[in-house]
Amino acid sequence: MRVSRSSRILAVGLLTASLVGLTACGAGSRTGAETATKVACDFQNPPQATTINVLAYNSSAVDPYSNTMVSSCTHDNVTVKHDPIDFAGQVQKTTATLAGDTGTYDVIETYSFVVPDLAKRGKLLPLDDLFAKYKDTYKLDDIDENLRKAMSYEGKLYGLPMQTQVLTMVYRKDLFEKNNLTPPTTFDELRDVSKKLQDSGDMKYPLALPWSASSDISTAYKATLNSLGKNFVADDGTTPNFETPESTKALEEMKSLLPFMDPQATTFDQPKVQQQLYNGSAAIGIMFSGRMNDLVQQKNTKLYDKFAFAAPPAVEEGGKQYGALSVDGWSIPFNTKVDKDLLFQLLGSSVSEDASKASIPAAYPARKGLDQSASPYAAAAEAAIAGAPPAEAQPWVPPITSATTDIIGSVILGKQSVEEGTKAMQAAAEKVLAEQ
Amino acid sequence: MRRREFWLLVTPSVIVMFGFMLVPLYRTVRWSFQQVEYGAPGTEVGLANFAAAMSDLRLGRAVLFTLGLTVVVTAFCLVFGYILATLINVLGRRWRPVVLGIMLIPYVLPHVVGAVAFSWLFDTNFGGIVNFLVNFVSGDALGEPLWFIEPWPNRLIVAANAIWFMLPFAMLMILAGLQGVSTETLEAAEIDGASPLQRHLHVIIPSIRGVLGFVLLIFTMDVLRIFDSLIALSPQAVALGNESIMLYIYNVAFREGAVNLGLGSAISVLTILLILVLLYPSIRALVKEAQAA
Repeated sequence: MRVSRSSRILAVGLLTASLVGLTACGAGSRTGAETATKVACDFQNPPQATTINVLAYNSSAVDPYSNTMVSSCTHDNVTVKHDPIDFAGQVQKTTATLAGDTGTYDVIETYSFVVPDLAKRGKLLPLDDLFAKYKDTYKLDDIDENLRKAMSYEGKLYGLPMQTQVLTMVYRKDLFEKNNLTPPTTFDELRDVSKKLQDSGDMKYPLALPWSASSDISTAYKATLNSLGKNFVADDGTTPNFETPESTKALEEMKSLLPFMDPQATTFDQPKVQQQLYNGSAAIGIMFSGRMNDLVQQKNTKLYDKFAFAAPPAVEEGGKQYGALSVDGWSIPFNTKVDKDLLFQLLGSSVSEDASKASIPAAYPARKGLDQSASPYAAAAEAAIAGAPPAEAQPWVPPITSATTDIIGSVILGKQSVEEGTKAMQAAAEKVLAEQ
Repeated sequence: MRRREFWLLVTPSVIVMFGFMLVPLYRTVRWSFQQVEYGAPGTEVGLANFAAAMSDLRLGRAVLFTLGLTVVVTAFCLVFGYILATLINVLGRRWRPVVLGIMLIPYVLPHVVGAVAFSWLFDTNFGGIVNFLVNFVSGDALGEPLWFIEPWPNRLIVAANAIWFMLPFAMLMILAGLQGVSTETLEAAEIDGASPLQRHLHVIIPSIRGVLGFVLLIFTMDVLRIFDSLIALSPQAVALGNESIMLYIYNVAFREGAVNLGLGSAISVLTILLILVLLYPSIRALVKEAQAA
């Protein structure tokens, strides 16, 4: 068969276009387990070949733990599988795998925000007995007790903490020194510092906060409200706090920061805030600590040596910090068919002392007593953990967050007044509580 | 072909179509009358999901936005797809495949990847070359265009992105149609004194009516189902009124803490009916043409 020259060129053109597309599809499809730290993972070899599927999102703070589990515990009859996935994908797959009597995953990454809800619905196995059995083998008592509490519900442990993330402040030390500024400890000082940076001409929008109106804004509102001493729901468990003076103040305080932020800040998630700091278009940022190590990497930004870290400010003087503490850990789903003893040994190995050491500085391990001197933000994270408001570990927090996120976004964007917003949030939260 | 061979060859397709099309369709319709949570049997709620969907102003806004986008993108792609196809049709054998290959790159890129890259063109954090060029040309007249938080600028980039990745398909289909237009008829029209514009309007376009109808059909279906590109291009879609029907369904049915498969299914059923109504004229014209042939 003769093939004309033009057809050949067309074929090459199409093939090139396809390859470009396929290359894009395949980007990021490696887990990095080949290069992960290897630790002891000495379980009793199961009699038959056993595959253990792990669900954990990819991030520089979680990867060291999941990669160590894969690389260290795949031996003899056990194969540990972990496919790359982003956080949104993990959220979807967690819901799906916990839906029925059989699931796809045997180990799932969970975090303190969702544990109470999942535990209340019986979706996770309590780990207390296994913890007691293996606490000496894996030195599990060294895992911070407060972080274990954050992964517990009604006194039972449902997640083995691996690392914690806390809202931490980063600032440009060169610009602070130049303008004779000190890290702000209250929102008043934050506004003052931001104004001075604006007036100095160094920075048009000095403040960068992840306030994406479709997701992160709810974390910001919760941190502000908690800093003012209120939770979503009063201690009686039935009355939402959205129409309290503290809730109104929280929204007003948030709006008062807008003049110092990029006009499109309500579309910025954490990677975009990182990007602002990399570019030098912002001088102060408040993000979860897992993002901080990226800022001091020379490969990411030429400003890598210009950043310093501190605990975030409180909204009011004498109040708790504008803080949020999130603990990541491993849980065993109720519907796994794999031996629970075997699974727990994998979890223990993944958060072992060696594995936790290897995760520094990308992560802030849940284990106490580790040398954190290699981590540039460890002292700030430690201060942030100490000053963070206590977490509201209740099953209604995720559904109320989801029901109020768009309303908060709408208030911050000025599409509805603070009064209308708080009323709408109160109604949405009451509906959630009625369904609990 | 023997009957046995026929069934042997056809059965796998029938099974696949049944499994991947009819079963999900049946489940969607069934769930639309139920309150459903993952993994649990649904509870019958009659028409409550449909009543909830119809009384939600957000659905009305999503339908309006999606229909507007469909009309703009389809009209633009049909007109400019035709113009591009006409230009490429007169290219020599050497350049035509090269131009075609380059133009098809947006079409083979995954939408979400293309949309993220597209959003960077308008995002100063990631270069924002369009912002730079617009201000360079206009002498900073536009200042900092708020592409992601103002409704109309955001609609503009959503439409531009849809056109960017769909225009090559329209052009390719129309080009195939143009190559089937009889040269004798065109020569006859030219001899009769028809101007180039008259030849296009009265000879070429009527000759490729079937292809244009097909493109219209595909575009109507595709743009009505726009979803993934909005994740990157319109992070505030709900607040801006730029939520497409599919994004609305996703938000209702799957977003964390708000899993409501029953309501999501009811909106899906309404969307299917809307698509059928919109496609009816195109399908009828295609069937008529097929019967005439």
